[in-house]
Amino acid sequence: MNEPSPWPDAQEYEALLQFLYMAPVGLVQIAADGTILMLNPLSAQLLMPLSADGALNNMFDALASVAPDLRQLCARFDASHGQICDATRIYLHANDQDSGPHVLSLSLLKLDASRLMAVLTDITLQDKRERQLRKTDAWLNAIITNIADYALVSLDARGRVESWNESIGRVTGYDASAVKGQPYALFYPAGATTPEQQTDRLREADENGWVVDEGLRTRSDGSQFWGSSMISPLPGRSAPDPASNEVGDHEPAYCMILRDISDKRDISENLRKATYCDHLTGLSNRRAFFEAAEVELARRKKAVRPVSLIILDADHFKAINDRYGHPAGDAVLCHLAATMRAVCRQVDVLARIGGEEFAVILPSVELSGAWAVAERLRAQIHAAPARFEQQAISYSVSIGVAVMDDTLTGFDDLIKRADQALYAAKRAGRNQVACWDADSLQLPVQQTRTAP
Amino acid sequence: MTAPDDILFDHPGLAALLDTMDDHALDALNFGVIGFDAHNLVRRYNRFESHAAGLGMERVLNHDLFTVVAPCMNNFLVAQRFADARQHAVALDETIDYVLTLRMRPTKVKLRLLAAGGPWSYVLVHRL
Repeated sequence: MNEPSPWPDAQEYEALLQFLYMAPVGLVQIAADGTILMLNPLSAQLLMPLSADGALNNMFDALASVAPDLRQLCARFDASHGQICDATRIYLHANDQDSGPHVLSLSLLKLDASRLMAVLTDITLQDKRERQLRKTDAWLNAIITNIADYALVSLDARGRVESWNESIGRVTGYDASAVKGQPYALFYPAGATTPEQQTDRLREADENGWVVDEGLRTRSDGSQFWGSSMISPLPGRSAPDPASNEVGDHEPAYCMILRDISDKRDISENLRKATYCDHLTGLSNRRAFFEAAEVELARRKKAVRPVSLIILDADHFKAINDRYGHPAGDAVLCHLAATMRAVCRQVDVLARIGGEEFAVILPSVELSGAWAVAERLRAQIHAAPARFEQQAISYSVSIGVAVMDDTLTGFDDLIKRADQALYAAKRAGRNQVACWDADSLQLPVQQTRTAP
Repeated sequence: MTAPDDILFDHPGLAALLDTMDDHALDALNFGVIGFDAHNLVRRYNRFESHAAGLGMERVLNHDLFTVVAPCMNNFLVAQRFADARQHAVALDETIDYVLTLRMRPTKVKLRLLAAGGPWSYVLVHRL
């Protein structure tokens, strides 16, 4: 008899092949520079729609638009082998298009100097479930947290403080004459909320029975504390009639519990930062950006109000990196983020959405207002250079601005418009602001942002 | 009858022609043919494709195209186009550049997506 062959026979080989073909996770083997050596079908399923050039030669390139730091992350990993990242989430686009994955999970394992293994999974549903859970967590936190103190505030149907009591005085320092009849935004720092957002919270409380919102609050003397506000409709009240301004006026309609949770702030802030912040600039990351966009567009659907989007991109950023080095490039990005913080309101959502690409969602701001903000941003950045090790680094930004309207089906479309405007600003010579305009901006479809 | 050698990947009206060809004739073609029914179950699979993928017919026939046989096509670039054509009852004949993962190697191909109202829809694979 022949000895059993050390090689798998044809049947076994085929079974192995099919095992990999059918694996419900994406597996990719890449070289150190990202070149794709082997991949199974599920990874092609996930990567092909992201690939700008329709090829799958390099995984870093294929994921560049949604995970710009990947190449750097791998380059910075010094050990000879080991886990580079574990289930890092990649946010592909807004959650408003029903088909296809929105969130991928990526794990990277360095095998040796020239090979890495990547595992890609579509975790769109998991991500959605977790968000639902987090909402419930926020509610539980608001109830069971050890709190320094709380104020019990009754609001009328339009969210104005209906009457004063001692707890309001204790927590916020306001006396009766200063709060009565005032919108509850009185307790928020200037620019931290809009009238539309305040109404939204009341509607949300009507629908869900409660709404919780955590953030900075102000006292009458201007000092601030970290607070949690929970608003619930008072029982036994008839449903609000939006058509009438008179309904429920001057009668208590909601109860707001305002708590000083400053002690807890460190914990919840750290957790929030780890999940929602870009590690370099401290701005929102893609995940926070898309979640905020979803909330803002859902609100707009219920009660129409403008939502504007600004997308900005540091001009010639690669040249800055090449000339001054990556740490200087990072300093420029941080400078850009700081300028955005100085120019924008607290209610605006500031995010880093790509390597040198940033975005701002401006709730309740028309196109003209968003343009003005964008122009201030551009001018300030142009006027004040970034500094790195006693060196002044001058740079500029190009900015695209667009506003949501009913012809758009979702946030991805709004991003496309802002992107087209950004591209127009780049083409017009950079260091410019361009607004998306159906008439004047006749860009061919393929001229999105794949250029140079 | 057209001889298989004359039938090219970009032959006009290919879906109707493929419907009439027997398995033997499909095997003689020099591009891959995957035919599937309205439930996405693979009903036709030719020799060219079987060799390229390294899978025998019996592992493929009567299995779901987009989950078992070719999960790499289960996205809006391919699967969604067939679903849309079916939903709107319109014919589909589109050729796209794609990357398949034949034996786990990234392989550049042209895919021709065909749905012409016959019993089967087809994905044709032309290796570049």
